[in-house]
Amino acid sequence: MAANSAPSALDKEQIFGMAEKEMEYRVELFNKLTHTCFNKCVENKYKESELNMGENSCIDRCVSKYWHVTNLIGQLLGSGRPPM
Amino acid sequence: MSTSTGNDSDNASKEVQKPPIEPIRLPTVEEIRGQDIWNNCAVRSVFSGVMGGGLGLFMGLLLGSLDNPIMQDKMTGKEQFIYTAKQMGRRSWSSAKAFAVMGLVFSAAECVVEKARAKHDTTNTVVAGCATGGIMSAKGGPKAACAGCAGFAAFSVLIEKFLDRHN
Repeated sequence: MAANSAPSALDKEQIFGMAEKEMEYRVELFNKLTHTCFNKCVENKYKESELNMGENSCIDRCVSKYWHVTNLIGQLLGSGRPPM
Repeated sequence: MSTSTGNDSDNASKEVQKPPIEPIRLPTVEEIRGQDIWNNCAVRSVFSGVMGGGLGLFMGLLLGSLDNPIMQDKMTGKEQFIYTAKQMGRRSWSSAKAFAVMGLVFSAAECVVEKARAKHDTTNTVVAGCATGGIMSAKGGPKAACAGCAGFAAFSVLIEKFLDRHN
């Protein structure tokens, strides 16, 4: 890429826009992940401030599944295959 | 200059009155590791076993000191004292062992069941109590094991409800 040694101002803007979109996506993913797993795993009546062991393992499993599914769907959407 | 400095001091005092917004502080790796030690089933059960052993020691001392020797007029005071002390030691050691096993088995069973179910319920307590009662009464045969299971399960549920009574 000897011709593009110095990125032009338009490229910089594009890169910045992509980074911003990526950041928004990451923040949205984190918020959705925490809300989903919190609503699923933590009971409404708070009996103590710490997470007990059942909630801990529930949150571990929930986050792991959410992350795997997100990656899988991202790969499927990104590979550009026709929908099944 | 005086009016601009007056404005500056006003703004500065307004900014000082608002508390600074702190960013969310995620726990460090050491904090997470320190909390995760308590989530380990082996560590929890060993700790419960040690606590049970201590409790059994005290209970054995108490109960052993209440047993009076039968021959009170044949031994001198000092011999009575030594005899009582030995009996207290024997009682407390056996009771410490029993309570330590009870605490260990109960805590291990409850931890394993709760991790597998990923829920915090009274069902965990029931299963753990049944396992503990069954193991402790296993020497008397299957019927005694069943009775011990049911009895200890009911006892542990009662204790748990009693400990959570302020909710």
